[in-house]
Amino acid sequence: MSVRALWIISHEKGEHVSMRFTRRFATVEHRAKSLAGSSYVAVPEDYSVLQLLLAELGLSDSDKCYVALRDDCLHRQRSPAVELCVDGPGKGILWPVLAISQGPLTLACLPIVDAPAEPRPPLASLLSVSQGLTLLAGLQTFLLGSGGKPDNEGLASRLAMLPSLLLQVCPLGTPLDVPISGAPATSAVPTPAGSQKQPFWKTGLHRGRAVVNVALKETVRSMQYGKRSRQDLWDVYGTVTCKCEVEGVLPNVTVTLTLPPNGSPLQDILVHPCVTSLDSSILTASSVDNCDGSAFSGPYKFPFSPPLEPFRLCSYTSPVPVPPILGSYQLREEGNQLCVSVTLKLHESVKNCFEYCEAHMPFFNRDQMGVVEVKVSSGQMDVSKEKNLVVWGLGQKFPKSREVSMEGKISFPGPTPGPTDPICTELTAYIKLYFKVPDMTLSGCCVDQHSVQVYSSAKPRIITSRELQSKEYFIWNSSGTAPVSSGQMML
Amino acid sequence: MAANWAERISAFSRSPSRFLSGTTAEDFLAELLRELRDDRASFGAKVLLLSPLCEHPSLLCPSAAVGEETAMELMSVLAQCPPKSVQFRCQLLVALTAVLVCASCVATRSRASQDFLDLLLQLVQDTGDLRGDDGLRSPRAAACDCLRELEACSPGLLAQRLELLGGLRQRETSRLHQAYAGLHALVLRNAVYRLARDTGAGGEQLKALLGGNAWVAWEAELDSGPVDDGDCSAALSSLALGPMGTVPTLQTGPDCKELRSVLSSLLEESYLLTPLCQAALLHRLTEVVAMVPGVPPAVFRAQLLRLLGTSEVCLLHATLLLKCAFTDSLFSAEDEAFLLQRLVVLAQHPLLSAPEKLFHVDCLLHFPENRPIGCGADGDEAPPVLLTPRLASALAPTVFDDGATGLARLNLLSLVYLEEAEGGEGEESRGLAYLYEHVGTLLRVVASGGGRELVVTAFRAVFLFLFYFCHVERYCRSLTEELCQLYLRHAHLAPHAINLADRVQEKLAESDWAVGFLRALQGVITMAPPTSLTWRGLGYHLKALARVAEEGAITQHRTVRFLSGVIAAPPRSPCAGGAWRLGNGLLAVCRRLLVHPGLDSLFIPLADVLQHLSRCYGDTDIQDHARLYYTLLTTLSREKLAGVLAADGGRRVKKRSLSCIVGESEGLASALTVHRTEKSLIGLTEVRSAPPAAEAGELRQSGTFPTEARAALEEYRAQFDDPGFASQVAIDYRLTHIDGDDDPRFDQLFSIRLHFGLTDAHYEELADVSVPRLLRGRAAAEVTLRLKPRRPRPTTLHASAIFTAEDGLSWFTVLPQVHVAFQQAFAPLPAPRAWGRGGGPVLFEALWGEMSAEDQEDCATSLFCCQAKEGPLSALVAEHFLPFLVSDRSDEDEFKVLIFLPPRAHVLLRIRPGEPAQFHIATDDWRLLSHLNSYLLTITSSRGDAPP
Repeated sequence: MSVRALWIISHEKGEHVSMRFTRRFATVEHRAKSLAGSSYVAVPEDYSVLQLLLAELGLSDSDKCYVALRDDCLHRQRSPAVELCVDGPGKGILWPVLAISQGPLTLACLPIVDAPAEPRPPLASLLSVSQGLTLLAGLQTFLLGSGGKPDNEGLASRLAMLPSLLLQVCPLGTPLDVPISGAPATSAVPTPAGSQKQPFWKTGLHRGRAVVNVALKETVRSMQYGKRSRQDLWDVYGTVTCKCEVEGVLPNVTVTLTLPPNGSPLQDILVHPCVTSLDSSILTASSVDNCDGSAFSGPYKFPFSPPLEPFRLCSYTSPVPVPPILGSYQLREEGNQLCVSVTLKLHESVKNCFEYCEAHMPFFNRDQMGVVEVKVSSGQMDVSKEKNLVVWGLGQKFPKSREVSMEGKISFPGPTPGPTDPICTELTAYIKLYFKVPDMTLSGCCVDQHSVQVYSSAKPRIITSRELQSKEYFIWNSSGTAPVSSGQMML
Repeated sequence: MAANWAERISAFSRSPSRFLSGTTAEDFLAELLRELRDDRASFGAKVLLLSPLCEHPSLLCPSAAVGEETAMELMSVLAQCPPKSVQFRCQLLVALTAVLVCASCVATRSRASQDFLDLLLQLVQDTGDLRGDDGLRSPRAAACDCLRELEACSPGLLAQRLELLGGLRQRETSRLHQAYAGLHALVLRNAVYRLARDTGAGGEQLKALLGGNAWVAWEAELDSGPVDDGDCSAALSSLALGPMGTVPTLQTGPDCKELRSVLSSLLEESYLLTPLCQAALLHRLTEVVAMVPGVPPAVFRAQLLRLLGTSEVCLLHATLLLKCAFTDSLFSAEDEAFLLQRLVVLAQHPLLSAPEKLFHVDCLLHFPENRPIGCGADGDEAPPVLLTPRLASALAPTVFDDGATGLARLNLLSLVYLEEAEGGEGEESRGLAYLYEHVGTLLRVVASGGGRELVVTAFRAVFLFLFYFCHVERYCRSLTEELCQLYLRHAHLAPHAINLADRVQEKLAESDWAVGFLRALQGVITMAPPTSLTWRGLGYHLKALARVAEEGAITQHRTVRFLSGVIAAPPRSPCAGGAWRLGNGLLAVCRRLLVHPGLDSLFIPLADVLQHLSRCYGDTDIQDHARLYYTLLTTLSREKLAGVLAADGGRRVKKRSLSCIVGESEGLASALTVHRTEKSLIGLTEVRSAPPAAEAGELRQSGTFPTEARAALEEYRAQFDDPGFASQVAIDYRLTHIDGDDDPRFDQLFSIRLHFGLTDAHYEELADVSVPRLLRGRAAAEVTLRLKPRRPRPTTLHASAIFTAEDGLSWFTVLPQVHVAFQQAFAPLPAPRAWGRGGGPVLFEALWGEMSAEDQEDCATSLFCCQAKEGPLSALVAEHFLPFLVSDRSDEDEFKVLIFLPPRAHVLLRIRPGEPAQFHIATDDWRLLSHLNSYLLTITSSRGDAPP
């Protein structure tokens, strides 16, 4: 349940590689040695680890199109753990090396194998693997923030904090915690001694007025082909994020999610570890199983004792019967120009009040755009500076008819070729929608302000919000070849 | 100072071996300890100093004794450290743990380790320390972690303290409770393991252990010294391996009240721990319950629901391991179905990272089923029975997946559909069709110009598909077609295609897909219109054809026809270097054809190709090799040909014969590289051969020569109209091994090519000299250097050699410099042969007269005197000037010496005995005088005669 070593590498597409941080855990290494016996392989020095890891991750020799070591088709790159073939005196295979990459940063660690080395045990039997993954993910979030990528200085200063941070979260190679993301409540004070045991994940106590903030966010993804032969796909998942400023060592808070009377049950519910108990019926509905009509459809109660920092209380998916915006996209070649025809229909159940709504129509493997003779029934049209993207801004509202369209012709006489893409060749093209609708969810799921219960003396202030946003919302050209084998998404 | 340390520490951790090559571990350790004791250094800096001890303790403390000493030092540093420097104290505890564990002090229960253990136990009981919550880590928590690590490295170490630790855990209410819980659980697990392994131990012992009376029963055994390695490694191994694993059990009877209460209290409070610690705790407790059949697995039930709904990967993993250990005694069939669904959901959940999803796919492939069918060997991937194609379809690969995810899904679904296909026909075909379509789509994406990563992913996907479905002919055939079409558009994929064929052949011995694929590849290459050939494309085609030619089952007529076509009309060359490479490509194919079983029917066309290459190809090297192949083909029987070429026809690197180097030049980097020796192996020594007097002696004593000086000079000078006349000096050397180098690799050197470099402009460039062989202990090789002076001066030459050693590799070595002395440039007078000996004096006088004349540019006369008796003088002349003597030897009044220095210079000496002896000098190049002077000084002083 420990890791033998930890490495943090930065690179830019395989170049300017540098080892930014490394940590070896000598006592874990000592254990690994006595566990593995004669098949023990020592961790080589950093520079060889770096070389081996880059080759294994396919990042080395980026200028060569085939390197046997890197590109062999027998390579098991499909596993989350890679093996490093150590050469030289300490010859052997170092396994399982876990690596996660985001942007310029690759984090890797080597979990201990606490099972007989031969035959090689399955990854799933080593608890140290999931521990290692959790540690790496936590460090990644700490270094890069959730999603964002910090500037070099920010990264360097966070890397400089790592030694003292590791002394807290992983002093001897056994991960105890992940760095706390997000700022803890401001008015936290150290705990006085009491009879109530304080959770480790609660770094202090809140003093002052109780405030509970519950934000419900649904995300919708879609692949629309506009063809009989291919089924359109869409899915919706929601997350409930809480920030609770409540007094007490282990205060009780309950958040309840409710669905409208005919709403489809929430599926695949995952909860934060601070949730104290769960009704088994909450968990039964699953997106990958036949949904029987008798499934539990709420209210969904989540009793928990909150940590100080914001956290994701739960997530779910929802089998919404229709996509919020149904689109049709037709692109045809006529002479040396393209004829475009697009219609977008906003479903009647969706609130016609957007924070933003844009349709992006990129063109790949073509020259730059010339004249764009396109008429839109609503909103306004823009061509990107690079002249390879048409942006159709739909503003805050669809017209009353809830339908907008675009017709026109585009030619590509441009002097310089635009971006390339191996999937979007010829008439394989898409429109991608970006939108956000405040104060609504597709599933109809909501958190009623009055349903949030806080068992504390003072009356808490409760803030709830909800929103719907799109992600990977594609409408493919129905008169071109759709990229087949796009499979099923979550449905 | 501080900055310097930061630099040194980082240099050490970057590469300890390189760092320690500049100093010793002992010195470095001493320095570190000194600095740690230094009061002036800040604690912030000292934390850094501890990192080498934490990370590489075994390098710095290679023996238990050093470890012991270092630990003592560190403990005294700790004792003097003010309580407020919390971080340093914590780090110091960590360093101490690392040193003591890695130097095996803990395993042997050394003095220092006992002291440290006492110190830690004291720290964990010091509840007055309330510094734990100010953001920094508390030494108390650090002490708990160190104790846990010590116990992990030496299982059973703290067994006697079980009750103490349990009590501490229960009393602790601060966040530090987590550290106590982790420590308590591990000590409990190890203690129960010890008991379970002891035959005869039972409920009573367990009770005593938990009640704190352990040492009554145990002391002798636990303190009996170090545990042996095998024992230790067994104790370290995870015990939750499921019904198939071997877990020692402790027979306690149904009543295990004490243990149960400890377990439930730990489980109840597990909620207060971080997910990482919860998972570890659960795992430890799983192991405990697995060892004690008296405790039903149902103790975990209360936690189960919370665990099944978790979003934390490590908690779900711990749950799976729980299931692995207890199967249906804890998990109902519904639970199992639910858990499986969860895994499917999590393997594609949009909120999870790619590695987490991959991990869940892996968990699906090793799902701990309640009732596993068969007991498949560990490590085998097999989807659980409950994973139906319908359920798995949620994990269908898509073109939008990243490489690893797509491959993992393809692998999983292949296994699922394969299983189903075995069960019966029907639905199967749809899933398989989908997978095939997916692979085809990937190939089409590659065809439309997908990047390197997509290419690699696509070929891996093809391999996976073939690996599982090579028996489904329909798909395999069309896959071959798709790949060939792809190859036609992108010939640069040849290495991938070859690799695919190789791997399929290797892993699927029973399938002939690879041969079929290669045959098809041959087809598309040879059928392609020659006009479509590009220079680069041809290189790849030849690579592919060379691989095709390795298959005995594929007839090679098309290949030979293709080669003929290429030779007849090769694509236009972009550069001369390309011709050599292309030629090698052609030869590589020919080479494999030479050993092809169908050679007989290829004989004539192949011979034509080789002959054409040997005659007309634009690169001499290729011509030569083609000629070699042609000769081999036409003169050797098939068996012999196979014998010559087949040994290394495959992938094996064998003795590097010339033909092999050519044929395999793409792979044999080492054979084609010239290696460099570390030091000089061989050297040239001058041979003090008899001066070329004999040559002079050959001259006839009498001859006809012009008696008139002017005529003699004219006739003599006329010879120099021939530009090559008498322009060289030949110096003999002996090439030998240098003493002191006994590397047996270089005992026998062959094909030595000596190369000389000039250090000045006095000589023309030297030609290389070849020496066929040089064997240690045998006669030295004679080497004659033919120097062509521009100006006869002493000089130094650089010398180097390239040779072949016995191992067949080429080597480059530098020889010691070769010094050419002034006198080595002397040559006898190149008088016309017809003159005989008599011409010398005439020419001497004529030249003397000319050089003594006032108006002659460059000419000079000089005088050199030295003390020399008459006898020794004539001996000196005989020794040094005999070949150049033009007067009669018996005439001791005056020796006339005429030295010719190529290309055109002369030095004339009239040596007259006397007190002192006089050397009258005349020369037509006054620049020689200084060299001549030092030469005369050397030869006269060496005879003991003092110069004037």
